[in-house]
Amino acid sequence: MIDVLALILAGGRVDELLCLTENRAKSAVPIFGIYRIIDFILSNLMHSTIDNVGLLSQYRPQELVSHIGTGEHWDFIGRKRGIRILSPYHRLGKYDWYKGTADAVFQNIPYIEEFNAQHILIASADHIYRMNYEPLYKYHLQKNADVTICFKKLKTKSTRFGYGVIDNNGKLIDYQEKPKTPPSEWVSMTVYLFKKDFLLEILESNSHESSHEFGKDIIPKIVNTNRVFGFAFKDYWSYARTIDSYHKTNMDLLNGKIDLSKWQIRTNLLERSVCRDRLPAYINGEISNAIISEECVIEGKVKNSILSPGVTVASGAEVIDSIIFHDTSIEKNAKLQKVICDKDSEIGAGSVIGTFGTEVPSREFPDLLNTGITVLGKNACIPQNTIIGSNTVIFPSMQIKSIRIEPGSSVR
Amino acid sequence: MKKNIVAMLLAGGVGSRLNILVRQRAKPAIVFGATYRIIDFTMSNIANSNIDVVGVLTQYKPLSLMEHIDNGRPWDLFGRTRLVEILPPKTGEEMSDWYKGTSDAVYQNLGFINDFAPELVLVVSGDHIYHMDYNPLIRYHLEKKADATICLINVLKKDAHHFGIADIDSKGRIVKWAEKPKDPESDLASMGVYLFNKNILISSLNRSARTNGVDFAKDVIPAMLKENKVFGFIFKGYWRDVGTIDAYWNANMDILRKDSGLTIKNWRIKTNTSAKGEIGDRPSSYFSQSCLISRSLIARGCIVEGQVKNSLLSPGVRVHRNTVITDSIIFHDTEIGSKSNIQKCIIDKSVTIGNAVIIGTGNPVQNKKFPVHLHTGLTIVGKNANIHSDIKIGKNCIIRPGAEVLKDCCSGNTV
Repeated sequence: MIDVLALILAGGRVDELLCLTENRAKSAVPIFGIYRIIDFILSNLMHSTIDNVGLLSQYRPQELVSHIGTGEHWDFIGRKRGIRILSPYHRLGKYDWYKGTADAVFQNIPYIEEFNAQHILIASADHIYRMNYEPLYKYHLQKNADVTICFKKLKTKSTRFGYGVIDNNGKLIDYQEKPKTPPSEWVSMTVYLFKKDFLLEILESNSHESSHEFGKDIIPKIVNTNRVFGFAFKDYWSYARTIDSYHKTNMDLLNGKIDLSKWQIRTNLLERSVCRDRLPAYINGEISNAIISEECVIEGKVKNSILSPGVTVASGAEVIDSIIFHDTSIEKNAKLQKVICDKDSEIGAGSVIGTFGTEVPSREFPDLLNTGITVLGKNACIPQNTIIGSNTVIFPSMQIKSIRIEPGSSVR
Repeated sequence: MKKNIVAMLLAGGVGSRLNILVRQRAKPAIVFGATYRIIDFTMSNIANSNIDVVGVLTQYKPLSLMEHIDNGRPWDLFGRTRLVEILPPKTGEEMSDWYKGTSDAVYQNLGFINDFAPELVLVVSGDHIYHMDYNPLIRYHLEKKADATICLINVLKKDAHHFGIADIDSKGRIVKWAEKPKDPESDLASMGVYLFNKNILISSLNRSARTNGVDFAKDVIPAMLKENKVFGFIFKGYWRDVGTIDAYWNANMDILRKDSGLTIKNWRIKTNTSAKGEIGDRPSSYFSQSCLISRSLIARGCIVEGQVKNSLLSPGVRVHRNTVITDSIIFHDTEIGSKSNIQKCIIDKSVTIGNAVIIGTGNPVQNKKFPVHLHTGLTIVGKNANIHSDIKIGKNCIIRPGAEVLKDCCSGNTV
């Protein structure tokens, strides 16, 4: 056990994931067949022998709450081990929703004070990676840092990240949140390890200000005044913040960039209708480079795709480069290409989705949906012989009426 | 705690005809349908019939069974008024000893039954594959004002000598009973499912114990026929006693046959997926570009690069490239190298098979040591066996658990 209490930011809506986060927090989005995104950080914490975790959650927490359950699946149950969902709450005097990442932590200082831990790990639940935090902890102690921030070197420059500049001693000498021209290739993983006393001090001083984000408001201010260090993380890390990067992350599993058998990710197997009580997959079809979960019934063709439990692919149907969530049924001769399809959807016989217009970006979300992916929300009902172009979003529970939907459309 | 009905599940059977599959586990604990165990069918039937107190009588190699039953939670038999209790043989009390038979096991646990003061006691076996709601049986039993009701199923006349065989009159009352008769007079076989009025059961067991009776089918039922009202309840549906290797293999294959009547999903069969070595936290199965799969059931955690036809793979099985598996049942965490060919084979857990291994080839000579167990061409490979590359193994062979196989093995031989 290391002397660390973890506070996990799991409440984000993340608009860039479009309808996948319509009814759930990003951390609750299903991935790799049987997991949810939050399983990665929870498993990391478990394997790092961090025993107590507070989960800061605000946006549509139901799926998350039922997924966490008692915490037993990650061994966060016992006399000295636990996980607690920290939602916004009413108190006497002034109170409000969480107004930012730092505010969420600030409002839960009483939780932090319940424990004796001298160091607080604050991390986002939204990323896909396997990391043991023990080396980070040792580094943090060795540098006598006030805060240590994890960075990952990324070649592709993006305006979505925080960037750091680290000197030879590991000291962070510059930090810019979402800069137009990044000062380095080192991207913040939004994993911060704070000395508890220092954290309480800066949260108190930030609380008087108008904006409350670690990346935007706190880190840039302390870079030059305090002992802020950078910790370089060298393994696989995925942000999976946009539809495109979510799709790429899934394909990384099929391309062997992620070896789940080594990552030892745990999930809630008892959650209603996820894996529990399901029959093994029945396969009598053509499968190539695919992940297939229990109770899938495959009579058609599945290529370069990931199927969650309970997906049916009828004979003559084709699923290519796609990600299909739980209990979706794909009827005879339907064809799906580069589709992300949420739970409980029905794709009628002979429908063709995502095979044309890959070059036509979404009219409503031109920056988010332009690489030829089609997203179908939960409970989508696509009648027989419907034709749907690429870069289209069908919002949840839509009963499609038209027989042809042009590429780049939004249906809600 | 008062209950209307208590179930006593007999799970102590050795099932010796299943040969090496029961070397380290009791028959009810044998893997079935890739991720299930045989006992799951009876456990699920009990739970789905809303019977919520179950005593599980164990004796032979109970460890894997106990781990599997755990606290009863997989079947929702867990809570303040719902429970499963494992009842192993015990010493130190009057009359306590090893269980000498099915009725003796229940007799030694009358204390457990009395704790719940039930009106009815359901005695079932954990050895069978079937789906049954016990409520119609209970209604029938009450309607007939029976002392005991025995579930019966029509079997083929030629198989009748394996079972307890009953003859019933027009009112459903059992008038004749013969345990494993040489010349069966009827084709109504006992399913090993008995429903008793508790008081009658207690007096019958006491009476039987005085005359050294230890078995329901041989001692208790024949005596009850003279003294009590014993009725037969005819069950229609899929029911298999998977007591032989051949029957076990066939029932597994029934899962892959669409019209067999065995539909695990509709039957709402539950299993313990979180026990050690089970599906647990394994990732979903991966199927490579080179795989070719038809009519097969594949559990989570497998990696398949070869060809799998008409087979069942339990969690964690790995099939390498250019290997062909046909008509086989492969248990957890077995790894099969490349360019191998496996036909009609039951392979137990954690077996390692090298490259270019051929199993199930040659003439169908019956097994020399156990001709009764193995004569239909099936070869069985025991847990942890290691079959080296380029080895050929014939039909009806037995590879014992943990064996190092360095030499070819012709049909009918045992390693």
